[in-house]
Amino acid sequence: MIKLLQNKKSQIKLSTMITLLIAVLFLITMPRINKDYKMLCLNLTLIYALCALSISIMLGMGGQMTFSAVAMMGVGGYFAANLCSGRLGFSLPTFPVLLLAPIFSAAVALIFGLILLRLRGTYFTFSTIGLVQVAWSFYSMYKPLFGGYDGISGVPKLSIFGYTPSNYNEWFYVLAAFLVIVALLVERIRKTKLGRSLAAIRDNEVAAKTLGINVYITKVIAFTIAGSICGLAGALYAMHTRYISADMFTFKVGVQYIIMAMLGGVNNTIGCIVGAILVGMLPEWLRIAEGYVNLLYGVGIILLMVFMPMGLSGVVTSIIKSLKKRHKKEVTAIVKKAEGSEV
Amino acid sequence: MKPILRLEQVNKRFGGVIAADDITFSVMPGEVHGLIGPNGAGKSTLMNLISGIYECDSGYIFFDEKDITKMPAHSRARLGIGRTFQTPRFLQRSSIRENLLLGTDLGDHFNYAQSYFGKKGADFEAELNELMQYAGFTFDWDDDITALPFGQRKILEIVRAMLSHPKLMLVDEPAAGLNSSEIDNVISLLTKAAKELGIGILLIEHAMDLVMNFCERIVVINFGKVIAYGSPSEVSSNPAVIEAYLGRDNDA
Repeated sequence: MIKLLQNKKSQIKLSTMITLLIAVLFLITMPRINKDYKMLCLNLTLIYALCALSISIMLGMGGQMTFSAVAMMGVGGYFAANLCSGRLGFSLPTFPVLLLAPIFSAAVALIFGLILLRLRGTYFTFSTIGLVQVAWSFYSMYKPLFGGYDGISGVPKLSIFGYTPSNYNEWFYVLAAFLVIVALLVERIRKTKLGRSLAAIRDNEVAAKTLGINVYITKVIAFTIAGSICGLAGALYAMHTRYISADMFTFKVGVQYIIMAMLGGVNNTIGCIVGAILVGMLPEWLRIAEGYVNLLYGVGIILLMVFMPMGLSGVVTSIIKSLKKRHKKEVTAIVKKAEGSEV
Repeated sequence: MKPILRLEQVNKRFGGVIAADDITFSVMPGEVHGLIGPNGAGKSTLMNLISGIYECDSGYIFFDEKDITKMPAHSRARLGIGRTFQTPRFLQRSSIRENLLLGTDLGDHFNYAQSYFGKKGADFEAELNELMQYAGFTFDWDDDITALPFGQRKILEIVRAMLSHPKLMLVDEPAAGLNSSEIDNVISLLTKAAKELGIGILLIEHAMDLVMNFCERIVVINFGKVIAYGSPSEVSSNPAVIEAYLGRDNDA
């Protein structure tokens, strides 16, 4: 008989409990270890982790390499900055804008997705590089909406039903809460039809079609969801830093997000978050080796791709799998022994 | 009874190569219909035309009396055209569960939002367990698909297609690479599909004894042309077929 999903649902897995424990420890200790500037960096890292999650949807689940996260983050960021800072002649309350930003970015991503995903594979990837460059040009040069090189300053403090995070430590928990919510929503995608369909597209487009999956529309939906998450990240960034400029939305920054996702494990939600924290924080934690950070970084990426193409989470899963296999073997050996002694 | 699949003068060229030349035949519900021919005759191309991976240059394809000639592949699958491949196509990095759920996803006809917000499909546990009796092996639901040997993976692809409740299954060389007991299991699965579930089956196969014993009608193609059409005995005594398979005397 085949054991099915339903029977196992009630058990909470050991790995889930360990992950939860580490997450709680992280949330408690980090604000105590890191102060001021380092705390600011850590907060930004949590925002970047959102972008890494968006890449996990497109690249990890769907196998579609895209650089567009950084451009979509700009859409959400400038949307929030424009509506809240009062530079358009009015200013809206921050929390509703924060919730509208992902919707607006989703709409923008939908339009670009419908156009760019007409291309496939590498051609699509290259077109997203173009998108990033075009977006950056607008962000850095078009003053009426994006403030040109000076960016937009004076974004008001975030206020959630009267609560305003007033220092980096409080912001840390607000950002962590958003990250956890988004991570759970993303994880849910993996468990439902959309995630499976994306995986089918990633592994074999022809088979996906014969399984009734509309490849184009599914990719567009993934692109839209990814864009929406980046939009939320952008709005959070604008309200956290209270200032936004085109420096944040260069191609180079876009590559960073991909490295974060690749380091942690592109098809693993927790891996993406860990990757974002490592890539974001290692330069801060390794201040001693400052001059060599770029070198270490480059060598690290090469080693990563050679030895663990599925990132840190890939290593962890393969260790768990081999342990399980060994366990299975031991059990069958014991069973055989017992049967043997009976005879 | 009306045919579940009907091809009318279907043509397909790839540059100078004629892959399908005026092909006309039909498959009835519950019928096991063979599609044979020498290597490169255009069998797989024809399957790709029916499932919508390729588009016909001219001619018509009717499914369940509905013209599907211009329909994209995923819509055809949703109408009820299941498909298996010569080498099984699964999610290589996913568990067996994920892979089978792709089949039930197709059968459930939910959209992404319905599935995301927790709409549950019909419980397929009983159905799967029954099919696995015919398939002749069991597996651990959580194992990677790569943990299964090749033959079992091929059989599982048929099971996945059946879980999506198709009206027509296109089965491409199910016996290739399988041992004799696995071939028996394939036959019992396909018999169940055709005779109990009324699924029309279009079968490409090189194992002649299987085709001759199992199929009710056979269409033989060579160089994209139908060279014989009829019952196994009619087809096997047809001189054109013998020539295509054995070659003319002066070829040897």
